[in-house]
Amino acid sequence: MDLLLPTIGFGIVTASILALAAVGFTLQFSVTGVVNFAFGDLMTLGAYIAWMVNTGLHWNIWVGAVAGMLFLAVASVIMNRLLLQPFIRKRTDLFGLLIVTFAFGLIIENALQAIFGPNFQSYSYTPSASVGFLSMTFTVNQLIIIALSVIVMLLVHGLLRYTKVGKAMRAMADDPALARACGIKVARITDLAWLISGALAGLAGFVLVLNTAAFAPSTGEGFLLVIVAAAVLGGVGRPYGAMAGALIVGLVTEVSVIVIPAEDKSVAAFVILVVVLLVRPQGIIAAARG
Amino acid sequence: MTENPALRVTRVSRSFGGVHAVDGCSFEVRQGTITGLIGPNGAGKSTMLNLLAGALRPDQGSIHFFGSEIAHLPAFRIARQGMARTFQLSSEFARMTVLENLMVAPLHQRGDSLWAAVLGPRAWRREERDHVESAWRLLQRFNLGHLVHEYAGNLSGGQKRLLELARALQMKPRLLLLDEPMAGVNPALISQLADYIAELKGEGLTVVMVEHEMGTVERLCDPVIVMAQGRVLAEGSMAEIRANPAVVTAYLSGQR
Amino acid sequence: MSDAVTYYVITLLVYMGCNVMFVLGLNLQFGLANIINFSYYILVAVGGYFAGLVVLGPAQPVESGGTEYLFGWTLPWPLPVAVAGLTGAVLALLVGVIAVRRLRSDYLAVATLVVGDVTWLLTGNTTSLVNGWNGLTGIPQPLADTLNLPQLQYQWVYLGIVLGFALLSFLLMQRLTHSPFGRSLRAIRENEYTAAACGKDVFRLRMMAMMIGGAIAAVGGALFIEFIGTVQPSMWNVPETFVIFAALIVGGRGNNWGAVLGAILVPVGFLEGSRLLPQDWIDPNLIDPLRWIIIGSVLILVLYFRPQGIFPEPKRRFRRILRQLAIDEGTSLTGKRKAGGGR
Repeated sequence: MDLLLPTIGFGIVTASILALAAVGFTLQFSVTGVVNFAFGDLMTLGAYIAWMVNTGLHWNIWVGAVAGMLFLAVASVIMNRLLLQPFIRKRTDLFGLLIVTFAFGLIIENALQAIFGPNFQSYSYTPSASVGFLSMTFTVNQLIIIALSVIVMLLVHGLLRYTKVGKAMRAMADDPALARACGIKVARITDLAWLISGALAGLAGFVLVLNTAAFAPSTGEGFLLVIVAAAVLGGVGRPYGAMAGALIVGLVTEVSVIVIPAEDKSVAAFVILVVVLLVRPQGIIAAARG
Repeated sequence: MTENPALRVTRVSRSFGGVHAVDGCSFEVRQGTITGLIGPNGAGKSTMLNLLAGALRPDQGSIHFFGSEIAHLPAFRIARQGMARTFQLSSEFARMTVLENLMVAPLHQRGDSLWAAVLGPRAWRREERDHVESAWRLLQRFNLGHLVHEYAGNLSGGQKRLLELARALQMKPRLLLLDEPMAGVNPALISQLADYIAELKGEGLTVVMVEHEMGTVERLCDPVIVMAQGRVLAEGSMAEIRANPAVVTAYLSGQR
Repeated sequence: MSDAVTYYVITLLVYMGCNVMFVLGLNLQFGLANIINFSYYILVAVGGYFAGLVVLGPAQPVESGGTEYLFGWTLPWPLPVAVAGLTGAVLALLVGVIAVRRLRSDYLAVATLVVGDVTWLLTGNTTSLVNGWNGLTGIPQPLADTLNLPQLQYQWVYLGIVLGFALLSFLLMQRLTHSPFGRSLRAIRENEYTAAACGKDVFRLRMMAMMIGGAIAAVGGALFIEFIGTVQPSMWNVPETFVIFAALIVGGRGNNWGAVLGAILVPVGFLEGSRLLPQDWIDPNLIDPLRWIIIGSVLILVLYFRPQGIFPEPKRRFRRILRQLAIDEGTSLTGKRKAGGGR
């Protein structure tokens, strides 16, 4: 029993990181319909940008995080416009688009490896203090991660529910043709969706690395399928579902080490993913539309 | 009750999530007729056609095709028993040529089996040649001969319709199910298409046609079955149907 | 040519022959039948593993320096290859049942990818199956004892065997592709409902395509692993599948010559060929990432500018038959008539 609470603690941290990524991934997917298989590698890119700012310019890591977010936000919009849109205009099928994003992710990962080498890097910052809570211990950084995640979730919720732009996004997610017919500026909203997903990828990448201390060009790519698992569990294309999915997947993967060997912990998430995708792609969680 | 009807449908029902698309339908189709299946929108005609073709399974009831029960067979088995059907929307094999499209159709091709394919052309060349010949004749008949090596996806809408009909006929079926053959067809072509279908009756083929275009129904179909709200409302010749007050009401009201 | 260079050339050619088989198998599954199996390379791996498992002797106890694995039946050649083919077919059937679900093509890719990844993880982490991440080693080369040739001669013989299998696979694929069986597969690919309405047993035909493609891939895998003597999870994961898909797409989906060309260009040309670059041209650390950057870029460019590949799927013209019919009928049957109509 005294293993349970600490693993729940890990689970909450993982879930927070996962939530940032999954919501970014899902929001973009819901608006554009494109499965972005470069997302994991974009996260890695965000981590590297933050690292360059941190170790190269000797600035605070949090400044690096913001730099990463900005860079990725812009890069994602450009990626959509220059890489994906031409294929979409050519009516490339969905699998083809997935391969294109996959190939692009491969290029990013290997470009990072070519530039920085395959070795693990880490941020330079003073290790933060630990805080105890029930029988879970969190570092201050981990608490910041959780807080950030909650704040972002609230912001996304606010965006979707209360802003015109958010409502336009929901409309596009529901019925793109109808949205266009209602005069919604599809191109601008699409740009915005990519912008947000890029920013969140950058933040998630930074936060992932902050939590695991060392990273290499391959770090983000390994995380991708776990993100997809969280996104699918909550219902493909449902940002609120992604939040819930992230919580469940985060907890399940961490808590499951009590019963299954630690190396296999992501297997649980993957099995969930396949089962849900095949049996109920609309997700297990009936997300409240609102 | 007719002797040896081509189709005997007995109390067939099918619902979708609580909506009774087809609700206890019974009717027969006599051999050698062109039987029309008409009704207002939402009457269940398309569902009925899909049930006959095996694209859907009935919740209840039975369907006898020349005496054999087919209600729970998958579509491909029903096709192999001699029931050919056409589709409303693009159903051609787009990246195959017109001739190839027709070459897919013949049932019981020996070359279809894996072993024959492995053994090589000698096992099936003969059959293949016969099929190419009959396909060619069919294309000539429908005036599609000049398009023989054209990719089917590049044909015009009207040409695709003709190809679809030719494809169904290449199966040498005992019964032909036509799913709104005139829908969206250029009025100039409708009469030509109707001519082709009329010829089929003379050749002993049984045809069941779901159609909205009343001119065609009038010209070709006898008898006509009227469906409304999932049930058979009336059967008879076009004149009898016209005079039936229930039918008139169904068309004027009962829209969903 | 020095011995070392000869060995390298033979290795390259063996690699090419096996990759030809891998891409041909994918052409059947994905090119003709359009079944998306984004963990295709698992079929190659399973062939390698099972061939290894049945040709090795029984597993020695771990304490005395042995490794853990199943079977160990010391079967004589060519039985391991046959076993490999069978397991490839069976595994392909299982994957096929998943991969033909009516789902968006990208979801199917994700689902099959994840199945492959899970298999990879479990295989690596469970040492009792196939010795986990360290894999099987010391797989004896087939017929080495019976032939008793000097090493170099043996390599040539083995290359002959591999090329023989590759040629057989190609001929088989040509037969299948240009038969009514292949035509039915393509029809199903274009429109499965119309194909069913034409009496085709869609599920059965697709599964047959999966199984045969899987068998070819697995036999290729067996031949490859028996040559290099070892198989570990690091040799078969998502990147390997990606390379085979890239090879087929670049060479030409649906065209067996395209598959062969793709196999020569992509896995062999790009990946292995880059080893031949002189050492002082490029920092050796850059070669590996550069390879992947090039493959990724080439694939994106090909998908945009020539998605059908270098050798696209040929149009079937029934030339021989039409000519024969013309001779019989005495009329022109080549379709160049001017009769209008049907518009």
